Amino acid sequence: MTPTHAPRGVLTHFLRHVPLILGAVLMLFPLWWMLVVSLETETRAGMAMLGGDVVQVWPEDPQWHNYADAMREVGSTPWIAFLDALANSIVVTVSVIVGTVLSCSLVGFAFARVRFRGRAGMFLLMLATMMLPAQVTMIPLFLLFRSMGWVDTLLPLIVPAFFGSAFNIFLYRQFIAGIPEALLEAGRLDGLGWLGLWWRIVLPMCTPVTAIVAVFSFIYTWNDFMSPLIYLHSESNYTLAIALNSFRTQYAGLEDVHLLMALSVVTMIPCILLFLAAQKQFIEGLGSGAVKG
Amino acid sequence: MAEVRLEGVTKIFPGDVTAVAACDLIIPDGQFTVLVGPSGCGKSTTLRMIAGLETATSGTIAIGERIVDDVPPRDRDVAMVFQSYALYPHMNVEQNLRFPLERRRRTSFLKSLLSGTGRAARSAETVAIGKRIAAAATQLEIEDYLHRFPRELSGGQRQRVALGRALVRDPKVFLLDEPLSNLDAKLRIAMRAELRSLHRRLGATMIHVTHDQEEAMTLGDVLVVMKDGVIHQVGPPSEIYDRPADRFVASFVGTPPMNLIDGEVRDGRFFATSGVVLSPPAAIADGPAVLGVRPEDIRPTQDGGVAATAQSIERLGDRMDVVFDVSGTSMASRCEPSELEVGQSVAIAIDVAHVFDAGGCGARRSTRG
Repeated sequence: MTPTHAPRGVLTHFLRHVPLILGAVLMLFPLWWMLVVSLETETRAGMAMLGGDVVQVWPEDPQWHNYADAMREVGSTPWIAFLDALANSIVVTVSVIVGTVLSCSLVGFAFARVRFRGRAGMFLLMLATMMLPAQVTMIPLFLLFRSMGWVDTLLPLIVPAFFGSAFNIFLYRQFIAGIPEALLEAGRLDGLGWLGLWWRIVLPMCTPVTAIVAVFSFIYTWNDFMSPLIYLHSESNYTLAIALNSFRTQYAGLEDVHLLMALSVVTMIPCILLFLAAQKQFIEGLGSGAVKG
Repeated sequence: MAEVRLEGVTKIFPGDVTAVAACDLIIPDGQFTVLVGPSGCGKSTTLRMIAGLETATSGTIAIGERIVDDVPPRDRDVAMVFQSYALYPHMNVEQNLRFPLERRRRTSFLKSLLSGTGRAARSAETVAIGKRIAAAATQLEIEDYLHRFPRELSGGQRQRVALGRALVRDPKVFLLDEPLSNLDAKLRIAMRAELRSLHRRLGATMIHVTHDQEEAMTLGDVLVVMKDGVIHQVGPPSEIYDRPADRFVASFVGTPPMNLIDGEVRDGRFFATSGVVLSPPAAIADGPAVLGVRPEDIRPTQDGGVAATAQSIERLGDRMDVVFDVSGTSMASRCEPSELEVGQSVAIAIDVAHVFDAGGCGARRSTRG
């Protein structure tokens, strides 16, 4: 036998990976459970919910039709209710992302680069709003939107995004503060005003922050349950999160847990895809090479 | 092309920091002018005020016939090359060159819409823009990487693109803010020559800022030597070198720097504070003074001269840098190679001496041998 250092290398490797693997298992367990239950028959899924020892690593006879059934049976009109909810979710999410990116980058740019009286004070005030729990503003906001006649429309979910959010503005401000002044001066010499600088130079350079802000906004809005629950009342206005909930109450409990899980999987797919697609942007910055480093 | 005029231009930053104090300067049309001085002397601020990136606290700046104090940077018809190049990182080289032209066209597009001029004129303009980019790219030899992004270029290539971006605009005045200081020594010397030849070809007014006196001497038609926001001397390199206006200019220009000795002139002879007595080559008026002697104007001599001892010697092949001790006063000298040894006593002669007022500033009294 040839002596080798391999055992020690393997051990270090193993010890280093054990916590990571345990963490991954912990994170993936609910997803796996959801996927498996979504492919079980109604009876076995019901038993799984009661803690019966029926869940296998992979179902013996996957019930793929559960997915079609779930999409058909959500709401009061077959298919239409699901498609409505999907469309609403897409409209709200896309609008929120666009609104958040535009408003937060613009305000962040102003805080980072425009010298104006009271800038520091206003920035502090804005940061202070982060300390307010959402529950505190919930009722005043509802009253405000009701007085505007926006209840049971998508507007209360979309419009606030166009007025910025403290944390995202903070992210943009920090990033924009790092953009070399010379680039903006070159832009001014090339004929750009403040808005031009923001749109043509600052925003394209902010891609890494924009990716983060967009992904977080997407995940938050797509999965948001509270705001749609407060503002949306008619079924045609439901988003997917609310539609899922209606599914659960509609069947009063555990009977259709396999369908609920199937629809949950469907709802999650865009989040997973987006995360995979944006992973590169998270890691890679665009700013390198702009100026001599 | 245009003349640039500064009249009483002052810049005071918040906190009462005076960056530029009552600066009067005329930069003639087509001249290569170099603003030079140690860091913090106000040279960059002066340049930025001409560009419109800083507003003068008081005074007037004119480019050509036009007073530009209230004109925004984009309308001043100046192009600036930044020390950090300031290339847009999200645009490739070609887009970087096109950007300033497109911006201008957009403004004229609005005008053409209002005045009702046709589409033909616009497409002709697109062709013209393409030609200008191609011409600038050829001139600076950057055609091969028009489609690369700034991050994919070397320092020298980025520098050329930055120059190209100024070039395509065909501005009245080029403003160059330490454009060579990020390059390595070899490339810097090559780019100096290119800048000179570019200036010869274009015949444009160029204002270059640097803290490097050697770069200033080799590049400029005219040097503007500044310190603490004040212009100390304006003149061609030879004049700055041969007839420095004051002690600061004398010590700033030249390597190794000029020897400056405090003392007093009596009866045509210079009595240094340290006790040395030197005889300047020509008669000057009596009074407290500072004697300035360039190292290359000191040489060992056989007849007469002042007694000195060689303190240290650096042999550089074609020349020799020697520090002489003249009765307790050290004097640097650059002379012909010889058999001189450390500790050896020789007599030295001074060919040219400059005499400045004791304060170091103010009027100059210079004597030549």
